[in-house]
Amino acid sequence: MRIGTARSSYRHDEALFDSRTQYAWLAILGVALLGFPFVADEYWLYLACLVAINIASATGLNILTGYTGLVSLGQAAFMGIGAYTVAAFEQKFGTPVLLNLLAGGFVAMLGGLVVGLPSLRVKGLYLAISTIAASVVLHFVFANWHSVTGGHSGITVAPAEILGISFDTSFRLYWLFVPITILMVIGAANLFRTRIGRAFIAIRDRDISAEVLGIPLLRYKLLSFGLSSFYAGVAGGMWAYFFRVVTPESFPLLMSIFFLAAIIVGGMGTILGAILGAIFMTMVPEALKLIVGWLPLSTDATLILSPVRTIVFGALIVGFLVFEPLGLQEIWRRIRRFFHLWPFRA
Amino acid sequence: MRRTVLKSLLATAVMAATATMAGLPAAYAADKEIVIGGSIPMSGVFAFAGIGIHAGIQDYVRMVNDAGGVEGYRLRYVPEDSAYAVDQSVAAFKKITSQNKVNFYYGDSTAFSKTINPELERAGSMIMSGASFATELNDPEKFPFQFIAGPDYTQQFGILLRYIADEKPGARVAFVYSDTEFGRDPIASSREVAQSLGLEVAIEIMTPPGAVDVSTEMARLRRARADYTIFHGYILGPIPEFISQARQLRLDTQFMGTFWTMDNSTVMQMGELADGFMGVMPYSYYYDDSTSAPMLDKIREMRPEYQSVPYIQGFLSAMLYAETARRTIAAGQEMTAVNLKTALNSIENFDTGGLIGVPITISGNTIPVGRIYRADIQAKRMVPASDWIVLE
Repeated sequence: MRIGTARSSYRHDEALFDSRTQYAWLAILGVALLGFPFVADEYWLYLACLVAINIASATGLNILTGYTGLVSLGQAAFMGIGAYTVAAFEQKFGTPVLLNLLAGGFVAMLGGLVVGLPSLRVKGLYLAISTIAASVVLHFVFANWHSVTGGHSGITVAPAEILGISFDTSFRLYWLFVPITILMVIGAANLFRTRIGRAFIAIRDRDISAEVLGIPLLRYKLLSFGLSSFYAGVAGGMWAYFFRVVTPESFPLLMSIFFLAAIIVGGMGTILGAILGAIFMTMVPEALKLIVGWLPLSTDATLILSPVRTIVFGALIVGFLVFEPLGLQEIWRRIRRFFHLWPFRA
Repeated sequence: MRRTVLKSLLATAVMAATATMAGLPAAYAADKEIVIGGSIPMSGVFAFAGIGIHAGIQDYVRMVNDAGGVEGYRLRYVPEDSAYAVDQSVAAFKKITSQNKVNFYYGDSTAFSKTINPELERAGSMIMSGASFATELNDPEKFPFQFIAGPDYTQQFGILLRYIADEKPGARVAFVYSDTEFGRDPIASSREVAQSLGLEVAIEIMTPPGAVDVSTEMARLRRARADYTIFHGYILGPIPEFISQARQLRLDTQFMGTFWTMDNSTVMQMGELADGFMGVMPYSYYYDDSTSAPMLDKIREMRPEYQSVPYIQGFLSAMLYAETARRTIAAGQEMTAVNLKTALNSIENFDTGGLIGVPITISGNTIPVGRIYRADIQAKRMVPASDWIVLE
């Protein structure tokens, strides 16, 4: 606990942020997020939007895998459902952006509820395999339901438009994606202050005990699948507005592995873990490119260093797993803990 | 002392980060240069092609600059590794275009070409070609600032079918393709082309992209009694498996492939099974000396070892960029996307120095020309089996 923050009420104890220092840092983060688009160029804004989308999806997967203990490799397919829903709504009905994103989330949620049904009977690797099977089925649907998905060629999505403003640049999309992601992250953080969130955690820790405590397993497991898929659907919808082309090959199994890796590297079962993991997985390959770019090397060296970069990225992931199994959030927590007692204990 | 070093390191890092984030241009003046950007797959599953493409563009740029540039302008090539992933390709595009005034861009995939199309239209300052031969891109209305440095996949099928129709009128043809966007691309349109040439499409077989066991497909192919079997949507597998089983069944069909299967090293990987394998190739092979090819001579001089067909494709792409820029500058026009595309489309009967054995004309968004080659396993080379075929 931070020095000088004695908790005097349950409400205070449950608060997401419990000290002035935290609010001060939040304010700084807020100012940084507001100011960022005005100092960053198109490339950094593009990465910021991509990070926002990945945080939204990783947070969703964290609800399911990190908090409820149900391993899923179907996150990319659920994103696909959201992306196709948004693309189809935009193309066929021209409905408002926020409605499309919500529709993407809800349709993905329905998909998640169906895919989640086996979770009552199977767990762990078995459940992971059943979610892979669902991904394959969904890929088939994306590729062959021509009238809705456009088949293998996919759907081209018109730019998002709100109040006549076309969100066709990363600068504009930043103002759409970042607030949505912040809302989703706050929603997830608050979820675990409620009975539902605590039920998820109880199921993760020991499902039989949870049932004995009066938690209906099927309902809560399906709810977890549904919420996770909703997050994936909205993230997929943002993805559709971001890349503007949705094809069956846009959401491969590798993408699901990417999100699973993100929450493992970041730290499963923590909100901050999903955020840090998504940032790490998205930014480290780019950061490595930047480092290689800063080195005074010829373009031939860039060519040679490309596979080396991939190896370094892999090694970094393995390194984190070996030296900090609790993920990046634990490193972050240690750093914070050090400053909690600062300057009284260096 | 340690703190000072740390401080200076931190200051350098902050300055570098600020400069990068603010997208400050490269150190030297950019007033007399033509910039070629590229999302090049130097790592990942497509690296085998990306490495060749990169070398091809790089060599042509160096060659032109050594000879004084294009109308006094120096070519500058700015590549980034895309790892053949759309998000990374777009990131590379954003990075390169926000830090350089790019005139030409090389993209790595169909997905990237489609994704970046609205961005190209919005920017209005550059044109793009790339590693994709997707038929969909050959639509100047939908993709006004893109082109393909060769024939699209339907045209590649068209060249093969034209050859078949000349060799064996009324022949039965089988299409074997992967269940991917790449695999399905030319199938529907080529059905009509075959019909117009008096050929019969005996069977169409779709396989999963990484198919290993093809026994069922082989049984269907056998029943179809096709004279020619065209593979598309694969690099290599499962083609050797098909040929191997066909040999065991003494099936009398001529196997053929399209561009991405046809690199010398890819075909020769099949070993004995490659003997007699045919396919369409839009470019001359590195070692091709059947016609006079001064540009191939230069390439062989620069790089004495074999260069892949993606190398030739990259080299030709850079040549077309340079020629387009030359025509735009010579006409006294600004290098905007519209002017560059107009200049590109004015290219008629252009001599590529033997990279393509006949003078080329840009038609629509493609160069609809190619030649049929046959694998000679003894010589370990692809040898011409037809003259250059130009589609109308």
